[in-house]
Amino acid sequence: MTADVFLFWFLAFMTIVSGLGVVLMANPIYSALSLAMTMISVAAIFVTLQAYFLAGVQIIVYAGAVMVLFVMVLMLFDLKHELQAFTRGRATGAIKIATVGILSGLVVGAVTIGLTIGGKNQAEVASATKAAGIVDTTRGLSEALFLKNVFGFEALGVLLLVIAVGTVALSRSKGGTHARD
Amino acid sequence: MPETNIITTIGPEHYLVLSALLFSIGMAGVLLRRNLIVLLMSIELMLNAVNISFITFSHYSGKVEGQIMVFFVMTIAAAEAAVGLALAVSIFKRFKEVNIRFFEHLKG
Amino acid sequence: MNQQALIAILLLSPVVGFFLNGLRFRSKNYILAGTIATLAVVISFVCSVLLFLDLVGMPPEARRITANFFEWIAVDKFKVNAGFVVDQISSIMILIITGVGALIHLFSIGYMHHDKGVTKYFAYLNLFIFNMLILVLGDSLLTMFVGWEGVGLCSYLLIGFWFNDSAKAAAGMKAFITNRVGDAAFIIGMFILFMTFGTLNIHELNALAPTALEASWLGAVTLGTLMLFIGATGKSAQIPLYVWLPDAMAGPTPVSALIHAATMVTAGVYMIVRLNPLFISAPNTMMVVAIIGAATAVLAATIGLTQHDIKKVLAYSTVSQLGYMFLAVGVGAFGAGMFHLMTHAFFKALMFLGSGSVIHAMHEEQDIRKMGGLRKYLPITHATFFLGWLAIIGIPPFAGFFSKDEILWKAYSSSAGHILLWAAGVIGAALTAFYMTRLMALTFWGKSRVDKNVHPHESPISMTIPLIILGILSVIGGWVGIPHVISQYLGEVPNFWEHWLAPVIRILPLAPAEHGADHEALEWTLMSVSVGVAAISAISAYIMYTKKEGSADRVAKAFGPVYQLVNKKYLVDEAYFKGLINPLIRGSKNLWYYVDVNIIDKATYKVTDIVRGGGSFVKSLQTGNMQQYAMYIGVGVVVALSFVLMR
Repeated sequence: MTADVFLFWFLAFMTIVSGLGVVLMANPIYSALSLAMTMISVAAIFVTLQAYFLAGVQIIVYAGAVMVLFVMVLMLFDLKHELQAFTRGRATGAIKIATVGILSGLVVGAVTIGLTIGGKNQAEVASATKAAGIVDTTRGLSEALFLKNVFGFEALGVLLLVIAVGTVALSRSKGGTHARD
Repeated sequence: MPETNIITTIGPEHYLVLSALLFSIGMAGVLLRRNLIVLLMSIELMLNAVNISFITFSHYSGKVEGQIMVFFVMTIAAAEAAVGLALAVSIFKRFKEVNIRFFEHLKG
Repeated sequence: MNQQALIAILLLSPVVGFFLNGLRFRSKNYILAGTIATLAVVISFVCSVLLFLDLVGMPPEARRITANFFEWIAVDKFKVNAGFVVDQISSIMILIITGVGALIHLFSIGYMHHDKGVTKYFAYLNLFIFNMLILVLGDSLLTMFVGWEGVGLCSYLLIGFWFNDSAKAAAGMKAFITNRVGDAAFIIGMFILFMTFGTLNIHELNALAPTALEASWLGAVTLGTLMLFIGATGKSAQIPLYVWLPDAMAGPTPVSALIHAATMVTAGVYMIVRLNPLFISAPNTMMVVAIIGAATAVLAATIGLTQHDIKKVLAYSTVSQLGYMFLAVGVGAFGAGMFHLMTHAFFKALMFLGSGSVIHAMHEEQDIRKMGGLRKYLPITHATFFLGWLAIIGIPPFAGFFSKDEILWKAYSSSAGHILLWAAGVIGAALTAFYMTRLMALTFWGKSRVDKNVHPHESPISMTIPLIILGILSVIGGWVGIPHVISQYLGEVPNFWEHWLAPVIRILPLAPAEHGADHEALEWTLMSVSVGVAAISAISAYIMYTKKEGSADRVAKAFGPVYQLVNKKYLVDEAYFKGLINPLIRGSKNLWYYVDVNIIDKATYKVTDIVRGGGSFVKSLQTGNMQQYAMYIGVGVVVALSFVLMR
């Protein structure tokens, strides 16, 4: 068992456990902390896949900005206790869990069957991995982003501006669409 | 291929399975939790799961477009979180409540 | 002004009048409404006169003005233009329609001034004139049919004009439905003719008609023309579809004069005259037309003998006179038929307007048993009515004499004629003379039986002017068609009528036996017989109803059951109800109950139940619970994904 194999299993374990923590923790603050843990684990997984720039972005944007946002909102609400963490209803609950289970089972099955039987064999994957090493630099990413996909990039910039304005407008309104005064 | 390879040799399917499990966990959160904020967190989980699979495909196919897509998804996710939280704040201001059990006004 | 523009103005002027009045139909300003409507028709009349003068100026063979406004229908080979033709026949018709129509509009101003719906009334009248002009001018059977249906609609609207009275509304419906029967046959006739000749253009049909004999299309042509004739029996009130016309007297009297005497009911005759080469190609149809015409002339006249309503008498008289016209066209005397159509339009419009004047004077009293001695109260009405009376019973030199004599002569002498047809015509003439004299005697002469509270008065000038003009026309109208046997003693006055119509009408040859030296003597004999019979009949009626009181009742009693039968109009209406209408209603009710309610309705209710059940189930899914919606998405994804993977 080599180091990066161990690293993968460790990170996978961390991701799944902290992801479960997000869903299962009754206190939203703990959920938020679990989410931060998940974000960091995912960033580490990005590193094992040699996406270094995105790993950095993941930490800065998610674990930094978005998580701070969540936590601040939670502080704003000042929730003493959670009345009901989970939805009621046995039948719908069972259907929901079954849906999730079947879906994950289907996807996992599809992935394993698709990649070992119908997909590429191990040798091809390895050669592709070697080729990927050349492309996967921050330089390559920035070239692709600013030369090939510059229109999408600018469109995203406009979208962010709109979102910023919209968010400010929403926060300033007194009760949104249900305003009484 | 020997059985031991699944443990010792890490291939794309490992990452994809991880991604699928994380997505399912996020989906379970969306379906089962009642706190609006936790709901939004679960959505972030799902988006991250998708990001993992994108990076995996990008890595193993040697194409950089997958990372571009991840970049876009992150931006959208940040924007969505901002708007979602702003909505949550206004709803909280109005109802003093973040449990979506109380927001069933779209009943048919 | 060019002729196409004239035709356009001729047609559009009544439409403009219709809209001007129809859009302000609540107005009670009878002077304004009447002026608009009358002016519209007068403009049309002026156009008609100008067109007529244009025609006169042309060489006889080229007398034909066409106007194609646009292509109306074009489906493969089936092409119909909105085209209109003014030729020898239609020019006479438009003169009658707009001329008599204008007079009747003028009369209506006085007659309808107290009515609340006077503006609506004038709008309908103008619409009628428009449709009648379309009917007359249309250059194809389909265009004609548009007008044919349009006048039917106006007739319905005007018969049921006082629709608050359910009997009058029912009379309107009766007219409409009876006409539908005929119209259905007319449409079938058009189908057959189009199938046979591949065109509905009247000009082309007439040109193709002689070839029908060679191409052995005789059966199709006979059937087609027969169907057209059934359509004509509906519109022109012949056996077996005449029953609506007497009831149509429920409408205002000027309407009866315009639509149910002078113009619309003659549409059938006009149609046959228009298609005369086609009808000549179908001798069997011609025979049917002649027999039906003669039978109607006699039958309607006998019913007319026993009626007490002044308008009903005139209505049966109209049916009878229309029978004469069909007799004429049936024996191939198309010119005579048109001639009688024109003179009849004059004197029957006159008599209807006269009866309107009487009814007006008598405060809506229509029963002639409650009149009598009106001569001294209504001098102008009486004088003009007197002229109409002389014209209809065929006393020379009044208009009716020439046309009726022409018909009777042709009924005898034409190769399609027969002595029995002539005899029926003479009997009809005698009956006509009798009941018209009875009408005159009971209404105007003898002792007054007028109710004490009713004070008859002469009508206003707007009503008497049309009477006077029509009275003059009833006298001189026949002078355009003086037959040769008479005119040779008057300094060879030419027979304008025959010359005018000659290019467009095929004249059947006389029966071979009638040629020779005694031909003239025979014509004189027949003429004197018919006039003599009419005179004797009129004088006996005069004596019976003015000199010897009660003799009429004695005669009626002597005939007993026969009189009752005739008085009840041969129970034709009752027979129709028993034989046709009631079984139809019963059948429809059974269909409604067993098929509609039990099968169709139940099936549709089942469908609505299913839809409603499905809807309420789907409704229950929409809980407003957002997470449940997300669950639906998830289930959908699972199903779709498993479908893709399991495949």
